[in-house]
Amino acid sequence: MSSWRGFKEGNWNKEIDVRDFILRNYTPYEGDASFLRGTTKRTDSVKKRVDELLIEENKKGGVLDIDTERVSSLLTYQPGYIKKGEDLILGLQTDEPLKRAVNPFAGYRNAVQACRAYGYEIGENIKNEFRYRTTHNTGVFRAYTDTMKKARHAGVLTGLPDAYARGRIIGDYRRIALYGMNYLIKEREADKRRIGEREMSNETIQLLEDCERQLEFMRQLITMAAEYGCDISRPADNAYEAVQWLYFGYLGAVKEQNGAANSIGRISSFLDIYIERDLADESIDEIGAQELIDDLVIKMRMVRHLRTPEYNDLFAGDPVWVTCSLAGMAEDGRTMVTKTCYRFLQTLYNLGASAEPNITVLWSTRLPEPFKAFCAKVSIDTDSIQYENDDVMRKDFGDDYAIACCVSAMKVGKQMQFFGARCNLAKVLLMALNGGRDELYGEQIAPEGEVFEAGKPLVYEEVLEAFKVYAAWMAKLYVNTMNVIHFMHDRYAYERLMMSLHDVEPGRLMAFGISGFSVLADSLSAIKYAKVTPVKDENGLIVDFITEGEFPKYGNDDDRVDEIAQWIAEYFYEELCKTPAYRGAKHTLSILTITSNVVYGKKTGATPDGRKKGEPFAPGANPMHGRDAEGALASLNSVAKVCYDCCQDGISNTFSITPDALGRDDEDRVKKLVAVLDGYFAQSAHHLNVNVLNRQKLIDAMNDPTLYPSLTIRVSGYAVNFNKLTKDKQLEVIARTFHEKV
Amino acid sequence: MTGYVHSFESLAAVDGDGLRYGVFLAGCPLRCAYCHNPDTWEMGAGQATEAEALARKISRYRPYFGENGGATFSGGEPLLQAEWLCEVAELLQKEGIGYVIDTSGGVPLTDAVKTLLSGAQSVLLDLKFPDEESYLRYTGRGMAQTLAVLDYLEEIGKTTRIRIVVIPEINDSEEALNAYLAHLRGKQCVSEVELLGFHTMGFHKYESLGIENKLSSTPALDPALKDRLQAFVNEQMK
Repeated sequence: MSSWRGFKEGNWNKEIDVRDFILRNYTPYEGDASFLRGTTKRTDSVKKRVDELLIEENKKGGVLDIDTERVSSLLTYQPGYIKKGEDLILGLQTDEPLKRAVNPFAGYRNAVQACRAYGYEIGENIKNEFRYRTTHNTGVFRAYTDTMKKARHAGVLTGLPDAYARGRIIGDYRRIALYGMNYLIKEREADKRRIGEREMSNETIQLLEDCERQLEFMRQLITMAAEYGCDISRPADNAYEAVQWLYFGYLGAVKEQNGAANSIGRISSFLDIYIERDLADESIDEIGAQELIDDLVIKMRMVRHLRTPEYNDLFAGDPVWVTCSLAGMAEDGRTMVTKTCYRFLQTLYNLGASAEPNITVLWSTRLPEPFKAFCAKVSIDTDSIQYENDDVMRKDFGDDYAIACCVSAMKVGKQMQFFGARCNLAKVLLMALNGGRDELYGEQIAPEGEVFEAGKPLVYEEVLEAFKVYAAWMAKLYVNTMNVIHFMHDRYAYERLMMSLHDVEPGRLMAFGISGFSVLADSLSAIKYAKVTPVKDENGLIVDFITEGEFPKYGNDDDRVDEIAQWIAEYFYEELCKTPAYRGAKHTLSILTITSNVVYGKKTGATPDGRKKGEPFAPGANPMHGRDAEGALASLNSVAKVCYDCCQDGISNTFSITPDALGRDDEDRVKKLVAVLDGYFAQSAHHLNVNVLNRQKLIDAMNDPTLYPSLTIRVSGYAVNFNKLTKDKQLEVIARTFHEKV
Repeated sequence: MTGYVHSFESLAAVDGDGLRYGVFLAGCPLRCAYCHNPDTWEMGAGQATEAEALARKISRYRPYFGENGGATFSGGEPLLQAEWLCEVAELLQKEGIGYVIDTSGGVPLTDAVKTLLSGAQSVLLDLKFPDEESYLRYTGRGMAQTLAVLDYLEEIGKTTRIRIVVIPEINDSEEALNAYLAHLRGKQCVSEVELLGFHTMGFHKYESLGIENKLSSTPALDPALKDRLQAFVNEQMK
C-alpha cells in the first residue's frame, strides 16, 4: 500500500495497533534544539488575523459571536476558514473563526443561560428541536435521590458533570491518519457482528447501540472532511495529510461534544514518523515541518465552547484543555522524544505564549538532557507547560497513554474515563463534627450523629473516628451519584465520534476527586498536635474554632502531618472502591481542583487549621498558601509523598518561583529547574505546574491588563491567560506561595 | 553533639552550585551595620539540633542535588559551630552529599575550622570592608581573622567566591571597590567576586527585635549601578 511506503510492518498491519506502528517506526532524537526554525510569512499572516480576532473577542466580553440557529454537530455548518486560501490545515468548529456553537445535549437550560450571559437568545429551531428531547441533565435529575441533591446543594459534591458534558475522553485521532476511515468503519462493523452473537443482556444491547451510533458519525466525518476537499476514507499519504486527517478527527469531536476537557492525546512522535519520511525524500524541509505543527497549534488555539458564568467560576479562563502530551520513554528503554516534540514546544516561541494547547511533558529522569534543558528554558520563558511523571505512569498505563484535561492518564484508544469532579473533604470533616449537618446553613445532609461539644478541646481519636464514618458514607454516595450521571450521559449525550476512535470495549476508569486536601491535613494535624476548641452559634452549630499552640503543617516535609495527608487519600480511595462503579469501571482518584479551590473555599466554614470561613483552599494537592515555611523543595517533598497508586487520576501541584530564587542567570536557571524536576520526580511525585515569575508582575497585570496581554500562567493542571481570570481568582493566584530568594 | 540552627531554606539555589539546601546557623560574632538577618546574631539561640537529625533532614533532598548540589551552611556564622558541623559533614559524606560554607571568616582558625573548610565543595567568603578601620566601625570586629581564613583557603587551593555587599554612599564606587580588590588580586583560590546590592527587606527585623538600625535611612542599591560595578570588578579581576 503506497500510503504505508517505507514503514516497517508489524502487528499494526493485522489489526488496529497504533502503538505498534509508532514503536516500529519512530526515530528517537537525543540532540538539542538548534535544528528548530521560525515561522513562514504565511504563518505570520494567519497569526496576525488570529491576534486581531482575539482582541475583538476580548472586547466583546470574551465571546466573539454565537450561532444560535443551529445545534452543533459534524455537518451543521459550512466550512470555515481563518484566512481562506492561507490556512494550511483546514477546518473550524463553525463557519467563522471563534464563533461559538450551541450544544444543548448535556443540558438545555445551561445552553440558554450561556447564550443570555453574552446577550443572545436561543433560536426557534433549537427551541423546537429540544422541546421533546431529553438531555443528559434532565435524565440525571429524574434519577437523583433527595440525598444526592442535598449533597450537591450544600457544595460537598460540587462541579459534577450533571448539567454539562463530561469530557476527558480522548479519541485516538491518529487512527484516521494511519488507517483511513473506511478501514475503521469496516472494523467497527465486524465488532458489532461479533457482539451480536452474545446473549442479549443490558450490556450487550447497550454495546450494540453504541456501535451503531459510532458508525453513523464515522460516516459523517468522511462527509465533513469532503466538504473541505479531503478524502479521509483512505489513509494519509504524507505528513501534511497525517496532520490534516488527525485534526479532522479532533475537529469532528469538538463539533459533536462540548465536554469539559477535549484533549488531543499523544500525537507528536506519531506525526514525526510521517515528517521524517517526507524529510528523507525531501518533499518538505524543516521550515515546512515546523509550519505544519504551527498551523495545527493555531487551530488548537481556536477551539471554543459556550459556557455559563457558573461554569467559568469552576474552570476559569475559558479552558478547552487541548492537552497535548509530549516525550516520555518507551517500555523498551528508548526515549520517545522526537524532533516533533521539540516542534510543539517551539510553537510557544513562534506563536507566542498561550494557555492552549495544554502542553504536557511526560517527564522521565532518563529523558535526553538536551530535551530537559529545552523544556526548562521554555518554562522559564513562557510559563506555559506542565510536567507529569512518565516513570510513574508508565507502570500502569504503558507507553502509549496520554493525559486528558490536567492530570488524567489513559491508554489512548484503549481506555476512557467517566469524569467525576470532586468531593470537598474539608467540609466532610466539619459535617462530622456537626453530626451530619452543613456548617453554613445547618441543614441535615448526612445521617444524624453526635455533635462535638463547644468549649472543650477536640480529641484527635474521637474526631478521626467520626470523620471516618462520614467519609465512608460520603464515598458511597459519591460513587452512586456518579453512576447516575454517567448512565445518563451515555444515554443522552454519548460521545459517538470519540468512542468510535476507541477499541469497541475499552477499559473504563471512573475518576473521583478530593478538594480541600491540605486544609483537611492541616486541620487534623492541628487537632492532634495543638489545642482546637470548637465555637458554636446560637443554633448549636460549630461555626468556628479556637486553635492554640503550634502544629506541623503540610508542605514542610514533616512526616507527622504528611502521613496524615497520605492517609486521607488512601482511606478515601479504599472507601470509594467499596461501591461498584457503572459499566464495571475501575475507580481512580485525583487531588486536583482546577480553579474551583476558590469556589470551594467560599462554600466552606472556618476550619481547625485557622483558615477563616470562605477563604480559598490551596489548589490541588498544594500546601496552603504561606504555610510551606521551609522553602520550595520541602514543599515539593511533602506533595511527593502522596501515593500515586491510590491517586491514579493525578496529584496536581502548582509551583511558582521567582527568577532570582531559581538561579543567577538564564543558563543557571535552566540547570536548576532541571534539577528540581529530576529531584521531585525521582521521588515518584506525579505532576508539577511550573511558573517562573515575580508576584509584582501579576499585580501589575491585574491593575493594568494591557501591560501583559498574553501573560500566561499555570494554575492547576492547565494554563490560563491571567487577564481572563476574575478579580478574586487573580487575587488568589497572587496570594499563593512564591518561592523567593532569601 | 548539639548545634543551634536558626532556620532552613530548602531551595537555596543561588548560594553555590547546583541545588542547595540552606541551613542558617544561629550566632554571629559580627554586628554588620547592613546585616539583613539580625535575628541570627544571638549565640545559643535557635533550635537545638543533633548532628544526626540535621544530616537526616538534609539527606531528604539528595534527589535534587545531582553532582554539584548539596548543603550550604550559612548563618549567622557557621564556623562558630565548626566542631558540630564537622560531625554533620562526616555523616553527609557517607551519603555522598557535599556542602558549601558561607562565612564572614571572622573566627579563629582552629583545627575544626580548617577541617571544615578543607572538606567543603567550595567556600563563599564575605569581605565586609577593605580596611581595619571600616571593619571596626561597621562590624564591631577587626579584619585579621578574615584575611587569615582567606590565606588558608589560598594555601589549600579551595575554590572561593568572594562576596561584597555594596551600600549606597558607603562603598558604591569603583575607587571603594578597588580597595577590596587589593586583598584579592593574585589569589588563585578566588573564582569570582560577586557584588550583592544592599536591600531594605531586613529592616522590619530590626524593628521587631528592638535593635538600632544604623542604616535606616539608606536606600536599596540601584540594580543598574550594581551591574555596572560588577562589570568593573569582573574586568579588574580578569
